[in-house]
Amino acid sequence: MIKGSESEVMINSKDRITTPQTAIVVINFILGTGILTLPRTAAEQVKTPDVWLTVILGGIVTMIAAIIMVKLSRKFPGKTFYQYSKEITGKWLSKLISLLMIGYFLLLGGFHARSLAEVTGYLLLEGTPTWAIIMPFMWISLYLIRGGINPIARLFEIIFPITVILFLLVAFMSIKIFEIDNLRPVLGSGVLPVLKGVKTTALAFTGPEIMLIILAFMKEPHKAGKAALVGITIPIFIYVITVVMVIGALSIDGVVIRTWPTLDLIRSFELTGLIFERFDSLLLVVWIMQMFASFTINHYAASLGLSQLFQKNIHPFMYGLLPVIYLISMIPKNINDVFKLGDVIGNIALVLFGFLPLLLLIISKIKGVKYETNL
Amino acid sequence: MKVKKWRSTIKKIGNHANEKENKQEFTSQNSSNHVTDHLALTLKAVKNEIGHNSDVHFREFIIGRTGIQAAIIFVEGLSDKDLIEKHILSSLMADFSKEYQQDQLYVKESLSKQFIKSQVLSISDVEEVHFIKEVTSKVLTGSTALLIDGISPALILGTSKVKTRTIEEPVSEALVRGPRVGFTESLSDNTSLLRGSGDIENLSLVKFQVGKRSKKDLVVAYIKEIVDPELVEEVEKRITKIDLDNVPESGYVEQLIEDNYLSLFPQVQNTERPDRVIAALMEGRVAILLDGTPFALIAPVTFSMMLQSPEDYYERWIPGTFIRFLRYIAVVLSLFTPALYIAFISFHPGMIPTKLAISIIGTKSGVPFPALIEALFMEIAIEILREAGLRLPKPIGPAMGIVGGLIIGEAAVQAGIVSPILVIIVALTAISSFAIPQYSVGISLRILRFIAMLCAAILGLYGVVLFFLFMTSHLVKLKSFGVSYMSPAVPYRLSEWKDLMVRMPLMMMKRRPKMMHTKDSLRKG
Amino acid sequence: MKQTFNHFQFLLVLFSVFLLLPLAGCWSSHEIEEQSFGVGVAYDKGKESLAEKEFDEQGEGYTKKNLITSTYQLITPQVASSTTKQGGQQQKSYVNISETGDSPFQMLRELSLRSDTPLTSPHMKVMVISEALARAYSLEQLVDQTLRDNDFRPSCLVFISKGRASDTLESKTVGEIPAFHLYGMIDNSYRTTRILPPMPLIKLASKIQTGSSFLMQNVLSANGEIKFAGAGIIKGETSKMIGFLNEEELDGLAWITGKGKGGLVKSFDKKTGQLIVYEIESMKSHIQPHVKGDNISFDVHIESVGRLSESWMTSGSAFNNQFLKNAQKTSEKKVKHLVTNVLEKMQTKYKVDVAGFGNQLRIKQPRTWMRVKENWDQTFSEVPINYDVKLTIKDYGASGSKK
Repeated sequence: MIKGSESEVMINSKDRITTPQTAIVVINFILGTGILTLPRTAAEQVKTPDVWLTVILGGIVTMIAAIIMVKLSRKFPGKTFYQYSKEITGKWLSKLISLLMIGYFLLLGGFHARSLAEVTGYLLLEGTPTWAIIMPFMWISLYLIRGGINPIARLFEIIFPITVILFLLVAFMSIKIFEIDNLRPVLGSGVLPVLKGVKTTALAFTGPEIMLIILAFMKEPHKAGKAALVGITIPIFIYVITVVMVIGALSIDGVVIRTWPTLDLIRSFELTGLIFERFDSLLLVVWIMQMFASFTINHYAASLGLSQLFQKNIHPFMYGLLPVIYLISMIPKNINDVFKLGDVIGNIALVLFGFLPLLLLIISKIKGVKYETNL
Repeated sequence: MKVKKWRSTIKKIGNHANEKENKQEFTSQNSSNHVTDHLALTLKAVKNEIGHNSDVHFREFIIGRTGIQAAIIFVEGLSDKDLIEKHILSSLMADFSKEYQQDQLYVKESLSKQFIKSQVLSISDVEEVHFIKEVTSKVLTGSTALLIDGISPALILGTSKVKTRTIEEPVSEALVRGPRVGFTESLSDNTSLLRGSGDIENLSLVKFQVGKRSKKDLVVAYIKEIVDPELVEEVEKRITKIDLDNVPESGYVEQLIEDNYLSLFPQVQNTERPDRVIAALMEGRVAILLDGTPFALIAPVTFSMMLQSPEDYYERWIPGTFIRFLRYIAVVLSLFTPALYIAFISFHPGMIPTKLAISIIGTKSGVPFPALIEALFMEIAIEILREAGLRLPKPIGPAMGIVGGLIIGEAAVQAGIVSPILVIIVALTAISSFAIPQYSVGISLRILRFIAMLCAAILGLYGVVLFFLFMTSHLVKLKSFGVSYMSPAVPYRLSEWKDLMVRMPLMMMKRRPKMMHTKDSLRKG
Repeated sequence: MKQTFNHFQFLLVLFSVFLLLPLAGCWSSHEIEEQSFGVGVAYDKGKESLAEKEFDEQGEGYTKKNLITSTYQLITPQVASSTTKQGGQQQKSYVNISETGDSPFQMLRELSLRSDTPLTSPHMKVMVISEALARAYSLEQLVDQTLRDNDFRPSCLVFISKGRASDTLESKTVGEIPAFHLYGMIDNSYRTTRILPPMPLIKLASKIQTGSSFLMQNVLSANGEIKFAGAGIIKGETSKMIGFLNEEELDGLAWITGKGKGGLVKSFDKKTGQLIVYEIESMKSHIQPHVKGDNISFDVHIESVGRLSESWMTSGSAFNNQFLKNAQKTSEKKVKHLVTNVLEKMQTKYKVDVAGFGNQLRIKQPRTWMRVKENWDQTFSEVPINYDVKLTIKDYGASGSKK
């Protein structure tokens, strides 16, 4: 760990991540509460069994946004968004945008922490106070990010296969109550309902914005685009499977009335005779690990942002942001407020990472910032 | 005639030496730590240092027919008496005037250390030292010091012969298939084992000394053409930093050179087997051998190495892969089973199969303790039993372990202190932990198991997940001599996984691990 | 060394804070032997049990309307320990306890006033609702609590009972737990067409939500024994029960939906009046909606392959194809008869579509469905349905001809 704090030296040349690691960071950042709520939120908009098409479309939309962000970041090799934005918009505007972005990460972190507490408190630890659920979680995240981006990426690489295996296992076991009829007819009401839901599903894929920051850490930045695309494709698969299995079992009408449809899916079948009869523990383990991953990235991105913005060592920010995130997580008063917070965050993401990078890219092209090929 | 001349020359030398002695009497103090060419002075200085020891012997004699006084100093028991008598005393006390009848003999300078060294002494290991302290330390390690009147540096002759045991299979790392050879306590035996196992190109053995008072020899071994020079440099740097009186076992070395002393995981591997060391060297690692202990160190080390055994490679690849899988499962089981038991029983009875839950309720309803206390009780009992089993004499030890476990478990169930399910779980855990080849990792896992149990008792399954995340975060941050501890699992490099959880056929493992940054990455054919 | 010192400080802080946690206690930890597992629940119309009546007489109760009596089948720690330890005397392996009131959730919690091992419901396997209750209250209201609850798993199966639901949770067989018995019987659907596919809570919720009518397996109880007998019909609009389909009608329904996995068709030969039984190995049915303008009609093609399982015909050789053809025809006629019966009941008597016709319309003609789905049950009762049946007997077992 380098204690050196000049922002230019912030990116320790040893603290690099490989291309697969980048993709996995993106994947872990995308997968979050969406696994549990996407079937409902999407079905509410689409109202037909074609939700899975909406999911794919949403993913594609996000891919486009991701490519824009990658292109933008590649113009400034070795620098994170916080560092290079001032070259496009000037010092004060860039500070403002960076602060907004930091705020976004903080909000998202609080949201993740709170969602975790809600679901864990509901299914696993009824009776445990929220702070006792959130605090150890945050402390472990702090411990991890003190090591920089490298340990973070490595931990994600370990969590990822566990997640995928358990998730696929659990999803395919639910074939027991799966009814293909619930997914038919395909495009029965035309394409319009599918398009209505794209906004919701695209927002479920928020995550690639992290490329604005971690591209600076990549060993092979020219592969960043590939990493981002892979990083979105895999969540597309996972989300599609989730949506298909959940709606197949619960039907569209059934999905919209349940708070956490995916959890209900897993809890509604029992395979007697297999070691665990009930598999919701597996899904919950996977989900907790994913939430941890997302939360950690948020924490790190925000700390990094503040430290690069104010040109100070990153450690005090890591510590200092903990109570901030905690307070944010305690803001929503009930679960509806939590969902509303999620919506708000989604809208912010739309502006901040949908429109803004495109805008900045255009401005930078106009300004003629040189495309440094740095290999 | 010639003899007469010779005698007079010698007398002259003797007078000369006496004069010198008179002159030097005044300067004796500042030369007390230097070996002088004045024999009596030097002898006095040495006797001051170590003369009081009953096993240090001083043998004064006259060199051949020259009349020059000399003395040897040696320690009985440490030095090879045979060698001293046959090759030192007899060569020096012999009348070598006959063999070397040359005019040179008549010249004072001819009786130089050069002459003695190159033509008289039939000893292979001869060194020159200038300081009294060096003389004493060498003598105390088994060498013989030869002091000659008129010759300034003392000659140290390598005659140490330490008693060692025969080479036998290491007790702690027995294999079903593999060489039944283990290191011994003698460093020279060990280095000979390394060299002797095939003509290894470029095997470098570099000697160091550790310990300020009890100086021990330490050898750093590596294959020059393969290893990353930065690694060697780092290892040597850390070794030279060791600042202790005595370094009795390689464990001390391990603790003083490892990266993170707070971690529960060992960052240096120790082994008694030469074949493990050679395999490691071939991968570009560095080995450290210490005199006085059969345990050699290997650095750097990664987590996956802790779960590997040389046997994996001696067997064919399918059994090798299968057994490796078993080991990984054993690790997971031994670490998490009691914690999961506590989590499910105390927090989430809804997550276990119904029939199982009912039978657990039935058997546990008589037990007065909550699941955590039960589990702690049984685990601690097993740990104590295990430690006790190590100290008991060989014939009783293993039997005690098995019998003790069974009987105590059974009795505890009958007494209603623990539930039978727990006995099974604890037994499973204990057996799984025996499947781990490296003892030091086994200990770490035992400790971790307790921490997992505590986490489970506070926050149930969530606590277990958090514990897993914490442990993995730690592992992921840990480095051993610059190599990330969790390589080659992360970062992903598909080619590295041929040897991780599976053991691919030998034909496929052509390259050395990338994480070692080796200079020569092909395993030559 | 500086780096590790930093580590040390940090870990010290972390550790000391962690130490605080156990002081505060383990909030959610409830030892398993301090709870009873509820494995089954039965909802009846309110009728207080003897014990409750006496409690009421002594007063100090609470305000409630005796609308629903829930009977919980528990496995208490005492019961569990007596069954798992090698028991000489076989006692009952379950305990039933009844509570009367107007809110299922409150009733559940009332149990903690009566037992030292309170009920925990993650292992609930079955829920039985009595006919009387189902006719009076909407199913949606009855199961609302169980759907919200985090303990109740959505995999719990729901049944209707003709008599008192609590009777279905009694058993005279020693060592048997009625809830498990019921739960296990559902697996027999591969042997008969008279068992419906299982209805877990979550499917019930979805079905209620779609507003379409559906069936729920009916359980009869008598003398400490239970039997699956037909199904209760739940009307989509009100989610209340309106009637029954008997076992034979369920047969016909299985033929229409094509979801039978096994079973038989018993028929009598026209000429001789002798018994012929056709065993179903596989069946398939294809419902094709036809829409012409405003007119909707359905064609049902039913096919099945099976074997001749029993024949009381005194003459005729199974080795003879003609004989087989005859048997086929007889069985086909019977199937047609079954289908007609059940269709009549659905369309005429009860005016509900419980065979999935609406679903097929939704899939194959979605735009039409959008038009008619509001009042589908009514529309369905007037829709013409044509059907044809084709059975194939592919073998007749080990016994061929008769002398």
